Amino acid sequence: MLWKLAWRNLWRNRTRTWLSATVIAIGLMALIFVDTMVEGMSVNMVKNATDTIMGHAQIHAQGFRDEYDVKLTINNLDVMLTHLRDHPDLKDMSMRVVTYSMLSSAEGVEPILTLGIDPEEEKKLSKFDEAIIAGDYISSVSGGDLILGWKLAEKMELRLGERLVLTAVDAESGEMVQELFRLSGIYKTGDNEMDASMALAPRETLQHMLKLEGKIHEIAMRYAHMNEKGTPAIPVTKPDKESGNDLSLWTELMPAMQAALQLTDQSMAIMGLILFFIVALGITNTLLMGLYERMFEFGIIKSIGTTPWQTARLMVYEAFCLGVFGSIVGLMLAVIVTILFAKYGIDYTGIEYSGITFQEKIYPSIRLERLVVYPFWSLGFTLVASLYPAFKLWRILPVEALRKRKF
Amino acid sequence: MSEIVIASKNVSKHFGEGEAQVHALREVDLDINIGDFAAIVGPSGSGKTTLLNILCGLDKVSSGDIQVSGRSLQDMSGSELAKFRREHIGLVFQAYNLIPVLTVMENIEYVMLLQNVPVAERKERVEKFLTEVGLEGKGNRFPVELSGGQQQRVAIARAMVSHPDIILADEPTANLDSETGVLLLDMMRKFNEEFQMTFVFSTHDPQIMERAKRMVTLTDGHIVSDEIK
Repeated sequence: MLWKLAWRNLWRNRTRTWLSATVIAIGLMALIFVDTMVEGMSVNMVKNATDTIMGHAQIHAQGFRDEYDVKLTINNLDVMLTHLRDHPDLKDMSMRVVTYSMLSSAEGVEPILTLGIDPEEEKKLSKFDEAIIAGDYISSVSGGDLILGWKLAEKMELRLGERLVLTAVDAESGEMVQELFRLSGIYKTGDNEMDASMALAPRETLQHMLKLEGKIHEIAMRYAHMNEKGTPAIPVTKPDKESGNDLSLWTELMPAMQAALQLTDQSMAIMGLILFFIVALGITNTLLMGLYERMFEFGIIKSIGTTPWQTARLMVYEAFCLGVFGSIVGLMLAVIVTILFAKYGIDYTGIEYSGITFQEKIYPSIRLERLVVYPFWSLGFTLVASLYPAFKLWRILPVEALRKRKF
Repeated sequence: MSEIVIASKNVSKHFGEGEAQVHALREVDLDINIGDFAAIVGPSGSGKTTLLNILCGLDKVSSGDIQVSGRSLQDMSGSELAKFRREHIGLVFQAYNLIPVLTVMENIEYVMLLQNVPVAERKERVEKFLTEVGLEGKGNRFPVELSGGQQQRVAIARAMVSHPDIILADEPTANLDSETGVLLLDMMRKFNEEFQMTFVFSTHDPQIMERAKRMVTLTDGHIVSDEIK
């Protein structure tokens, strides 16, 4: 009977109930929608970071990433390759030579990071081939092609076909060595660092130049399936310390971005708390208004034998009904809005966040558990909001309530 | 000798403190017996409503003692008093007695639900009392669809349906026209005689007073007369 009473009481003032339910619904919808957008943004950022160059994981010789020492090549490469290929979910890999170098043209000299790649391997792992805005991608694993970022090209006033000299230190003697390349293409990844200070050259040419025949510095890998945290769905076994090599997931290679993603989760939690706190205040106000309006009636209810605890429960039940109703409406609105935005997306292309420039539109991404968690939050806050009116109702003496007669 | 349902001994009630203190009841001694059909009469402000509130435990005495069905109300908590009223006392107020969002049937059933009366018995008792108060066929109506007199009859049915020891009614006819008021009192009297149900009601309407078997007159919080007709 108390539930029936609560539900019917709720609809005595339809306008007020609809307004309160709308407040809950909009609060919930806003939170779910923002969450789906943040999730979509995170997915986009991870995709950008891992698809452009990094891959999902990389392997290097221990200590290589500290100073990019050209001598520190991957130890026991064949054993490592066998170990990596054993992973059942490995999709693609690219073996690279990586070195700091000086790039000289007729117009000037710039320090850059140069990657020696196999163009066919690299195509599967990164997006440099798709990012070419002028000229052509590297055609062969050997030869004199070199591609670089548009910002670097602009800074050095380079034109396609121009001759360039790459100077670096060889791995055997530590002597300066030089190699002549021809600018075959210019790319634009959207990542400032890659566009302004990086170049790609054929791997075998670079290995020959640096006296690294058959040796490489880096293997970047992509796996077929990733879990919610953005790491490989099937865990990757790291090589033993004795192997002299290190395997790092992208989360370790880009700790700043990983921290930024974790921060977005915390930000969502704080935003949710603030949002629902404001909603809860509105609900408390609505319930209090209802309480004062129906004070005489509550006096009657208490007088004829309803205990204070039962009367307080009645108020909580009203809030519960309101919360469930508002949450259902909010959930439906959130799904509709998310579906609409999932169709059209939001265009953030070119905007940089946490070192990553968005390359594509952001599409909301729903995490199903959030469609359960947030409505429960909403309901929980609505119930908390009812505690004060319920406490007031619990405390008030029936004789005091009966003095609030309407006649 | 009749059995006593309510025994009030030396009951006083005052509101406020110091110079602003108002004495609503002064050393009231009143026993209500089973089967009484008693009217508490007196001018406005004489303490009728305060006395009824105290007799049913809605209000606390400032001094003295109230016993209802052999139990003192003074030391009961709010929850105990609610449960006690639910089992032993039926209440009827001036107006707006009913819960507007419940139908007539649900209003009458409400106290029995609190008492955990089985559903079949509830339905049977509701039907019986709807017939007794002449509202058969109106069980599914909401209070707003009934006249004032009909609403008061539902309130009486609700008060009686849980088989209380006594029914207290605070000016039950105050918001009714005199003809409807008299009919309501006649119905209460009929229940008093047929079911030996004890009624105590307050009124200042001479037509209503005439129908009481016993008349307790209050003036300035004192009982000035207690007359059995």
